[in-house]
Amino acid sequence: MSTTMKPSPPAGESLTPTIRQRVLPSAVSGQEVVLLGVIIVLWVALYFSTAGFLSPGSIQSILVAMAPIALMGVGMTIIIITGGIDVSVGGAIMVCSVVTAKTMVDTGIPLVPAVLLSMVVGGLLGLLNGVLIAYGRVHAIIITFGTANLFQFIGLRIFDSKTINGIPSTFDVFGRGVNGRTLGIPHSFVIMVVIAAIAWWYLRHTAGGRHFYAIGGDAQAARLAGVRVQRRVLLAYVITGLLVGLGSCFVIAQGTSSLDQSIGIGKELAVIAAVVIGGTSIMGGRGSVLGTVLGALLVQTVTSGVTQLRWSSQLSDLFVGIFIILAVGADLLRQRTRRSK
Amino acid sequence: MSTPVVDKAPGAARESVGARLVRALLTQRIVLLAILIVVVVLVMFYLSANDYLTAEYSTDYMASSLINAVPLAMLGLAELVVILSGRGGIDLSVGAIVSLAGMIFGFAYGEWGWTLWISVILAAVVGGLLGAVNGFLVSVVGFPALITTLATYYAYKSIAIVINNQSPISTPAIQDLYSTARSVELPVIGSYLPNFPLGLFTFLLPTVVVTWLLLARTTYGRRLYAIGTNDVAAQWSGINVRDTRFKAYVFAGVVSGLVAVVTVAQFASARPDAGTSGNGMALPAITIAVLGGVAITGGIGRVSGIVLATLLIVWLNAGILLYFVGNEGAQYQLLALGAVLVFAALLNGLTNRRYGGAR
Repeated sequence: MSTTMKPSPPAGESLTPTIRQRVLPSAVSGQEVVLLGVIIVLWVALYFSTAGFLSPGSIQSILVAMAPIALMGVGMTIIIITGGIDVSVGGAIMVCSVVTAKTMVDTGIPLVPAVLLSMVVGGLLGLLNGVLIAYGRVHAIIITFGTANLFQFIGLRIFDSKTINGIPSTFDVFGRGVNGRTLGIPHSFVIMVVIAAIAWWYLRHTAGGRHFYAIGGDAQAARLAGVRVQRRVLLAYVITGLLVGLGSCFVIAQGTSSLDQSIGIGKELAVIAAVVIGGTSIMGGRGSVLGTVLGALLVQTVTSGVTQLRWSSQLSDLFVGIFIILAVGADLLRQRTRRSK
Repeated sequence: MSTPVVDKAPGAARESVGARLVRALLTQRIVLLAILIVVVVLVMFYLSANDYLTAEYSTDYMASSLINAVPLAMLGLAELVVILSGRGGIDLSVGAIVSLAGMIFGFAYGEWGWTLWISVILAAVVGGLLGAVNGFLVSVVGFPALITTLATYYAYKSIAIVINNQSPISTPAIQDLYSTARSVELPVIGSYLPNFPLGLFTFLLPTVVVTWLLLARTTYGRRLYAIGTNDVAAQWSGINVRDTRFKAYVFAGVVSGLVAVVTVAQFASARPDAGTSGNGMALPAITIAVLGGVAITGGIGRVSGIVLATLLIVWLNAGILLYFVGNEGAQYQLLALGAVLVFAALLNGLTNRRYGGAR
C-alpha cells in the first residue's frame, strides 16, 4: 500500500481509515490481478490454438455457464469469509430447480413468481443450514454434509423417479439463445454482475459486511467487540440459500426444456473451487467477491477450452485441481510474507 | 473452562443410575452405538415377522449385507486416522484414490497379467503415493486439508477417468476376482452360523486390527493423538508433527488403495468412477467417522467407534432396502445417512458442552 501510515493517530475519527486500510484487502488484490492475467493469457492461447474460441458465441456460452457458479459463489464467499463452508449447495440446487420446474409445469405460474418461489425454497434450505450451524455449534462441514444428503433425498422424492418435461420457454430469458441476451450480453451474466457488485460494496463499505470478516478472523474477539456472531453466521447461509435459489433458475435455463435427476450433483465443489481460486482464504477472514467471479470465469474458461481443444472433457477437472493448489499456494505465500514484514 | 472440575471427578459425587446412563450414552460413543444397533435390529426383526418387509430380515441377510461394510469401514478408518491428526484434517480424495488405484490395479492384474499379490501391493503402493501427495501438501507445505484434498479429488478423479479413455477394465482375470467377494462358511463352527462375505476376513479384519494396533499400541498412535489434540504442545514436547501428520495421509491412501481392490472384485471390473460416482465414497466415510465419535477438531476417536458405526449404517441400510420398493430404498438411505450425520454432529456438540468431550 502506498499511503504512509500516520504516526499514532489521535482518538476518534482518524482511527477508522487506518484500521480499514490494515484490515480490509485493497480494492483490487494481487490475486485478482494475477487471475485476470491468467485468464487473458489462456484466452489468447486458446484463440490461436482452436477454431473460433473468442467468437461471440463461445464467449456468450462461457458467460452463461459461469453465471450460476459465480452467483452462488458470492454467497459461498461470504460463508467462507466467516470461516464456514457449505457443501450442500448441490442438493439445494436439486430441490430448488425441481420444485420450481414442477410447479411451473403443473400450475403454469408465470416467470416472476417461479423465480421468487425458487429463492424462497433456497432461502429456507439456507435457513436450516444456518440454524443448525449457528446454534448447534457444530462445524459447518459436518452439518452441510448431512443436509446435502437430506436435500438430495427431498429433491429425488419430488422428482418421483421421473424426468420433468415441458418447462415453459419463458425461462429462456435467463439462458442461452436470442431470448436470453440483450445487446449480445446474456441476462444471467448481467444479473450475476449486479448482485456481485452489491455484495462487493456491502462487504467492503458497511459495518455489517465487515462483521463477516471479523467473525472469520476471530469469532470470539468479534463477539466481544459486539458483533452478533450467530445472527451473522445465520445470515450468511440464508444469503447463500437465496442466491442458490436464483442460480437454480439459471441452471434450469441452461438446459433443454427437461430436467433430470442428476441436476446439481457435484456443483458445490465447482462453487467452492471458484471461491478458493478467487483468493478467498479457507481459514476465514479474507476474501473478495470480485476474486470469486474471476475464479468462476477461469474455471469455465478451462472447461470450455478443454472441450474446444477436443481433449477429453474430463481433463478439465485435473486443471481445476491444479489451479486450486496454485491459488492456495499463493494465499499461503501472501500470509507468510505478511507475517515476516 | 469455568465449570467446576470437582463435580466431574469420578466418585466425587454420587450420580443416580439414570444420570450415569445418560453420561455413558453421551460420552461413551460405543455405548450409544451398541444400543442403536440393537434397536435397529429388533425393529427390523419385528417388521420382518409382521410381513412389513419385501423379504425376510434374517441373520443370513444381515451377514451377507456385511459385504457393504468392507469398503465403508475401511475408508472410515482412513478418515479416522486423518481426522485424528488435527488442524482441520480431513480427506475428501479417498473416493478418487479408490478410482485411480483401482484402474492401476485393473491394468496390472487384468491387462499386464501380474500375479494377484503383486497387483494388490501395487494398488496399495499407488494409494500410498497419492496419499503422500496429500500429506506433503498438508503437513509439509501447510495447505488446509479440506481444500488440498478437494483439489486432489478433482485431479485423481480426472486422471482415473482419462487413463483408460473413460472405459472400465473388465478382462476375464478381473471377472474371476468376483469369486473373492463371495460368502464363505466359517471353519469349525461355520455350519451353525450364516455365511460371511470373504472380504470381511481378507481385507476388513486385517485393516481393523492393524489400525487398532497402530493407534492403541504404538508410539506413533500416541503421537497422532498428541498432535491432534494440540500440535504446538506436541511440537514443544519433541514430536515431529510434520512427519506424524504426513504418515496419517499416507496411511489413508494405502487403505484407499486396498479398498480399490475390494471394489474391483465386487464390480467384477475396474471402473474409472468407482469411488466418485454420485456422491462418491468420501462422504459416507466421513459420516461413519463422525458417527463413530471422531471429533472433527482432531485428537479424539477410536477404532471400535468406527466398526460399530459401520454396522449400524449397514444394517439400517439393509433394512431400508427391504422396506421400500425400487428406487425409493436408495433415496431413503440418503435420508437415513443425512439424518444420522446431523444427529451425531449435534450430539457431539452437546457432549462437548456438557461433559467436555466424548471418547
